Amino acid sequence: MATRRPVRKGSAKDVGEGVRLGTEQSAGERVLVEAAQSDPAKFEVLYKLHFERVYAFVASRVRERSTAEDVTSEVFHKALASLPSYEWRGVPFVAWLLRIAANAIINHAKRAAREFPAPDDPPDRAVAPELQASEMRAIEYRAQLFRLVGRLPEVQKQVVYERFVEQRSIREIAQRLGKTEGAVKQLQLRAVQNLRAQMEGGHG
Amino acid sequence: MAKRSLALQLNEVVQWMLVSLRPRPEESPDRELASLTRVAQVLRELPREEFRVALKSDLQRRVSMSEGTAAVPVGTGETKASAVHYQRPGLTGITPYIIVRPAAQFIEFLKSAFEGVERMRMPAPDGSIMHAEVAIGNGAIEVSDGNEQYPTAPGAVHLYVDDPDATYARTLQAGATSFYAPTDDHPSGDRWGAVKDSFGNHWYIAKPRGWTPGPEGLRSVQPYLHLREAHKMIPFMETVFGAEALGVHKSPEGIVHHATIRIGNATLEIDEAHAEFQPMPCHLHVYVPDTDAAYARAMDAGATSIDTPRNAPYGDRAAGVKDAWGNSWFIATYLGQ
Repeated sequence: MATRRPVRKGSAKDVGEGVRLGTEQSAGERVLVEAAQSDPAKFEVLYKLHFERVYAFVASRVRERSTAEDVTSEVFHKALASLPSYEWRGVPFVAWLLRIAANAIINHAKRAAREFPAPDDPPDRAVAPELQASEMRAIEYRAQLFRLVGRLPEVQKQVVYERFVEQRSIREIAQRLGKTEGAVKQLQLRAVQNLRAQMEGGHG
Repeated sequence: MAKRSLALQLNEVVQWMLVSLRPRPEESPDRELASLTRVAQVLRELPREEFRVALKSDLQRRVSMSEGTAAVPVGTGETKASAVHYQRPGLTGITPYIIVRPAAQFIEFLKSAFEGVERMRMPAPDGSIMHAEVAIGNGAIEVSDGNEQYPTAPGAVHLYVDDPDATYARTLQAGATSFYAPTDDHPSGDRWGAVKDSFGNHWYIAKPRGWTPGPEGLRSVQPYLHLREAHKMIPFMETVFGAEALGVHKSPEGIVHHATIRIGNATLEIDEAHAEFQPMPCHLHVYVPDTDAAYARAMDAGATSIDTPRNAPYGDRAAGVKDAWGNSWFIATYLGQ
């Protein structure tokens, strides 16, 4: 009770980072892609830039976490392998990655269907090759939120990972962190409020 | 006060998101809660930090191996960073393998009682079922008519469903008999009912409330073992399968009232046999990263051998052991296509 502190919209200290994150646009992108084409070791930069977007896109289309990881992994391996044949046409690099991802999802569904043909459950949840602008915005939103989790105060970040990724119960998290269940619930609320505030800040 | 209740309200929403097998029904919570819920929903898809790091080092390794010639062909199934590369797609860390006769009728029961979806059936030359798989929710049950080596053995299974009362009613229509109808008074805190089907299997039909799911979330299908000296099973599974006890409720004398045990990305439950819930030695199918090592550890831990490790024709490295309680464990590692 005594530690309760309201988190007002826009009051989180690193809102500024949220603003910057959404705006790494195509300006330097071409340079980065061409650098990676001549030196594959520089692909890492592109991976860091786009990991969250690709994962957000894939995770929104496949149910299981393990499948989302398999497909994301496949996308980056394929992108790395195909990078020499990538031609810069002014289309954002992420669009190219997401096209690879869309194909990988279809292939994955086909492979799964071959192994377990289930007529009741058409595996192909039709992936539209061309993304709507609204969907692109949704992917940006999720990707930015994923990145912002890494900037939360340590204990809030821990609660988010334990709760949403590890999917542990409040009781278990309380035991692991040596806190009361009430405190964990407060931390959960504060983390989500923080993230919301920063996302709103990011939208201006 | 308003603040505190918001923490509780948000937690209720999150709890629902994490344990329900279906999306939360459309409601109109207040604006504050609704906007927090939107953020929480995205967090449910948050990537694992370990995965991000593992994939990065995978990519770095690939780059350093190919030294400037980036155009290395990539096999589509190649995903070293995956946490569950050793599991056959469609199966989890642990699946009940129910051997009853006639298996074909049992499959019909699974379909009508639990909305099971048959996704594989391999007949034996004599027309019996050598192996079949029925998906239920996000889990599966493997089924066979069995043979001399693997005789019939009904088992107990805990099913998480969205509507336990409706499911319970369907099991009775499909020929099961009731232990008790779904009740909110079960010690687990879940709404929980229990039936026995005409093949001798127990089904515990529940809707999640207070249950502690493993890291991969709620599993629809969990084997449930009633054991004598159940407390000794925990170290056995820890040693052999690298299992982790998620929640162990013991009496002061050390009797296990209930324990949830995680193996890989799935869970099973055990308790001390009691009343009508007596030991039912059964068959279990576990996927592990290294079948040979798990088999060796099982032998060291006092299990007896059913099958030594071998490459099975369907593409698994497979072995079989029997534990001190009489349960058979099919140990497997998926080798990829």
